[in-house]
Amino acid sequence: MSLTITCPICGKRNGYEFRYGGQDKGPRPEEDGLTPEKWAEYVHLNENTGGIQKEWWFHRSGCGLWFTILRDTQTNQEIK
Amino acid sequence: MFGKYKRLWKKSRLKSSYDAVIIGGGLHGISTAYFLAKNYGMTDVAILEKRYIGFGGAGRNTAIVRANQRTKENLRLYDEGLKLWPKLMQELDFNMLFFNCGNLNLAHSEAGMSALRLQVASAQFHGIQSELVNAKQCKELVPVLDISDRLAFPIFGGMYHPPGGTLRPESVLWGIAKGASQKGVQIHQETEVKSLEIKNNKVVSVKTGDGKKIHTPRVLNAAGGYSALIANMAGIRLPVDVLPIQAMVSQPLKPFLDHVVSSGVYHAYANQSLKGEVVTGSHMDPWPGYTTQVTARYIKHQAEALTELMPCLRGVKFMRTWGGLADMTPDMAPIIDGNHPIDGFYIDCGWGYFGFKSAPVTGKYMAKFMATGKCPEILKPFTMKRFAQHRLSGETASPVNYGPWN
Repeated sequence: MSLTITCPICGKRNGYEFRYGGQDKGPRPEEDGLTPEKWAEYVHLNENTGGIQKEWWFHRSGCGLWFTILRDTQTNQEIK
Repeated sequence: MFGKYKRLWKKSRLKSSYDAVIIGGGLHGISTAYFLAKNYGMTDVAILEKRYIGFGGAGRNTAIVRANQRTKENLRLYDEGLKLWPKLMQELDFNMLFFNCGNLNLAHSEAGMSALRLQVASAQFHGIQSELVNAKQCKELVPVLDISDRLAFPIFGGMYHPPGGTLRPESVLWGIAKGASQKGVQIHQETEVKSLEIKNNKVVSVKTGDGKKIHTPRVLNAAGGYSALIANMAGIRLPVDVLPIQAMVSQPLKPFLDHVVSSGVYHAYANQSLKGEVVTGSHMDPWPGYTTQVTARYIKHQAEALTELMPCLRGVKFMRTWGGLADMTPDMAPIIDGNHPIDGFYIDCGWGYFGFKSAPVTGKYMAKFMATGKCPEILKPFTMKRFAQHRLSGETASPVNYGPWN
């Protein structure tokens, strides 16, 4: 079953129009006192949630907007 | 002739403590258990598998083995892995149908050829047989290839790696499981691990789905695509993305394809199984997830790619398609750690789609790691610490990144 994603501007569209941008990890860490470990954590480590996760998407073949949605990684369905 | 088959591995009751617990009844877990028992006399080992042996990558891979990677850390591991198959079949007395047919990677541009040149040089430097071939030689190796200018991306040449080939994944799994069971390893299917108990930064026990507590000083996370979820139980996040990957087989055909053929540009690989089916795949879903659903999109892609490279396949039907999970690291190298950050917690994952070819050799060294507590030299480069040290491995999946667009 393929994925559909709701773009805030274009509405519900085929998932292949979008680029996955990773799990929403919150804001980029402050550079003051940032250690390589903390930076690697922010860049590379993922929750890999088996369930509903908040994630970034980019409407590559559409309006070009970056936005977040909730998606269930066990069913590959967008959660409204 | 029916009804006389013996069980390959014994059924046993789950005990309340073991010397080692291995989470995941896939090839990596079973190999590690086998070598723990064989090489280190540690036979009080339980393999806990949530579903059944070979449910995951061990039963869903496309059976290709090779040692033509790009970096020295990976090359030496895969090279030893490749040489281990015949020895393993001998010592287990189990035919794994090792078909030593060789791999041909195609390049479709000068940039692609340069990438292969680097890979061939690395392989030869490490004493691994691998050579650069031109388009005409590709055609001699695989006569059904179209090397004309008709293709959108014509074939420039390739990398031929004779020591590679294919095996029968189920036989590999059954053979090693049988060997492990004979040495006293317990295999528990339908036994899910629900949580890990950690005290004073040390593994103490695991809890199964039906509430049983199993005490153990050593736990190996060898859950393949699901290893990130197991690591999360220990409070460890992994630098992986779990991507579904799909593969398919065609109807059986007369033998026509003597080698494993792959093309990074067309994003497809194919080999003919001993039954005659064309086994093909390589596409991953562009988003992570834990589904093993298949999509029409990739069947179409695969058909287009295969008929472009090998026009004689037009009209051939796909019989079956399936999906599996690949835990992809950003640098295409696995994650192997132990006693860090938690004592007694070992990690063998992040193999992406390299898990099948690496299983027995990694199991051998993982067993050494778990028995001695010290990481063997060959596995050291794969520590998770490399990400904080910015020492990512320079491995590539195949030279997919090099095409006419470079």
